[in-house]
Amino acid sequence: MDFALNSDQQAVLEAVGTLLSRHAGPARLQQLGGDEPDYDHDLEKRLLEAGFLDLATTRSTCRLDAALVLEAVSGALGSCAAGWRLLVAPTLDTDLPGPVALVPDGRRGPVRFAADADAIVVIGSPVRLVRPDRSIARVRSRLGWPVGEVRELPAGGDLDGVDPAEVRTWARTALAVEMVGAMQLALDMTVRHVSDRRQFDRAIGSFQAVQHGLAECSVAVEGARWLALEAAFTGSAAAAAASLTHAVDASRLVFGRVHQYHGAMGFTREYDLHLATMRLLALRSEAEALGSPAAACAAEHWTI
Amino acid sequence: MEFDWAEEDVSYRSELQAFLQDELPGRWEGATAVLGSAENAEYSRRFAGLLADEGWLTPHWPAEWGGTGATPWMLAVLGEELWSRGEPRGPQYMNVNWIGPSIMAHGTAEQCERYLPPIAAGDVIWCQGFSEPEAGTDLASLRTRAVPDGDHYVVNGSKIWTSYGDIADHCYLLVRTDPGAERHHGISVLLMDMDSPGLEVRPIPGMVGEHSFTELFLSDVRVPAANRLGPENEGWAVVREALSFERVGAPRWARAAYVLDETLQWARELGRVIEESTVEAVGRAKAACEAARMLCYRVIDERARDLPPSPHANVARVAMVQAERLTADACAALQGNEIMRYGSSSDLQTRKSLAAGVAAGTYEVQLNLVARRHLGLPKS
Ligand SMILES: Cc1cc2nc3c(=O)[nH]c(=O)nc-3n(C[C@H](O)[C@H](O)[C@H](O)COP(=O)(O)OP(=O)(O)OC[C@H]3O[C@@H](n4cnc5c(N)ncnc54)[C@H](O)[C@@H]3O)c2cc1C
Repeated sequence: MDFALNSDQQAVLEAVGTLLSRHAGPARLQQLGGDEPDYDHDLEKRLLEAGFLDLATTRSTCRLDAALVLEAVSGALGSCAAGWRLLVAPTLDTDLPGPVALVPDGRRGPVRFAADADAIVVIGSPVRLVRPDRSIARVRSRLGWPVGEVRELPAGGDLDGVDPAEVRTWARTALAVEMVGAMQLALDMTVRHVSDRRQFDRAIGSFQAVQHGLAECSVAVEGARWLALEAAFTGSAAAAAASLTHAVDASRLVFGRVHQYHGAMGFTREYDLHLATMRLLALRSEAEALGSPAAACAAEHWTI
Repeated sequence: MEFDWAEEDVSYRSELQAFLQDELPGRWEGATAVLGSAENAEYSRRFAGLLADEGWLTPHWPAEWGGTGATPWMLAVLGEELWSRGEPRGPQYMNVNWIGPSIMAHGTAEQCERYLPPIAAGDVIWCQGFSEPEAGTDLASLRTRAVPDGDHYVVNGSKIWTSYGDIADHCYLLVRTDPGAERHHGISVLLMDMDSPGLEVRPIPGMVGEHSFTELFLSDVRVPAANRLGPENEGWAVVREALSFERVGAPRWARAAYVLDETLQWARELGRVIEESTVEAVGRAKAACEAARMLCYRVIDERARDLPPSPHANVARVAMVQAERLTADACAALQGNEIMRYGSSSDLQTRKSLAAGVAAGTYEVQLNLVARRHLGLPKS
């Protein structure tokens, strides 16, 4: 057990941080369309070229470093499928051409990245990797992600030997890490806001109601974060389910509170808060689409 | 104690429902349009006119101004039926609930003559110019300055988050007339025309649907002194009185219950499998709407008895916010990834539930009031 970053990890995070500070972040997302952004091919290409998306390449590589990078990309509101690439792709044992989306078999309707994906991972038995033959329509969505409308998907693309349960596990971990990144950004913005904003001749962050509210959020996000990193390290299904369960619960708390404490400021699209918070709604719906994480968490520990 | 409706309320409700059935057939699309959107406001000009023809726009007003002597319970029935259809009165619910009554209570004969008939006819839109960049929860710290100049005030400053500022005809504006006075004094109410020279209205892109938020910039705007409502420097008392009963004037729980209904209907029509945990979320949201309903009714009962405003109004407000939030959760559970579709009921309800805790007095402020006035806890 060692909760401190080693020197390799420090170096990776520093380097990816530099890249993200130039090519990602709220201003970049606003440039891409804000809450209705385009897919950030440029960012994806830069991350790929710098090797950040291939930190884990095979099923057996430890994916902790990949998770740390994903957390950073999510905290910088990257508008690309970094989660699937960093944490899920290694399980597929195949080369991914470009942007990728992921859907549980049979799932229809809005799916993140579907309109931009060169390939779609379909979690079923068997797991499939399909190239959409018709172009997938974009969905008008305002949750801060590029979204496409999945209808019928072509047959074939079976990935023999890939365990759907393992794909699900890594998808859960990826979602948990992404939620943590977005929640931490929203919390940081809120801590800053309530420290600066004054009403009744004092910072609103000095009201105990606000302090307790944010303190609870912080504890929830910390719990989700360490669980998600543990899940990335171990690759265990139980840890993945626990981390996503905790992240989903934390997101409910964080979503409501950070908006609440921003007052009306959080309601304008000219301010960046909604870019971090609305994303959580999409992540949560994809988390539930994989099957209730809380039910999975219980099932991993007991036969009920 | 008993929880039956009086006969007159029952027959009023069914008359009203029949009218609304005709006027807003089936699923009126506006119900999902966002309260506060320009679309909703424009529709209100037509709809409120029709209501006025029926005598239902301002039924609680005195006969002199077009009222029909409706009881607070009838007014509650009206609000409930309209909010559960998405509030087709749009911004005009403010006119009839508190702007008109405030003008009646404090206005001069000329002011009543000028402002009340258009409100009663359902053909005027008002906005509320309270919040400023530095004055939100702490409204009494507002700084927009009005300086007397002959028979006018010259007004300078800015207002923010003004809903409907881009489409309103008039603004119920709070200004500071005596910067030297203790903060709750020195404030006055001005009834400002929105086409006044020197007034610039800038739209603010919002994230609650198409809700039209604006910022008002006032540079040397001349407002006739004759447009001041109530005594100079005592506007705080005027506005407090105006809003004292307003806390339950917007029965948000009724709209939330409607959204719940519609979303469940949507899931059924698509043949969606509704899991047990989702059924429970829906039940929990429904129960919260019902609790908010009873807590609002308690406030209406007090009004019907002519009791002074009580902290029960704050209790009801908190319960309504909770109902909105649980309804958002239930809709999200029902709709799954549909929440990613802009304009889906789960997407919209989530946004609206955020607004519920902030607009018209924040959740924390309401909780503070419940703690102090309802529980009698000491001030910090
Ligand atoms: C949809 C919408 C429509 C609106 N329409 C209008 C309009 O038409 N006209 C108008 O004038 N205004 C309007 N507003 C503004 C609204 O009145 C303000 O947002 C509200 O008064 C809160 O002020 P604020 O946003 O500045 O938040 P702040 O005052 O900055 O508060 C931020 C946070 O601090 C908390 N806080 C503050 N004081 C305390 C305390 N003592 N104890 C504990 N917590 C505290 C608040 O509860 C909140 O969570 C609208 C707002 C919204 C969201």
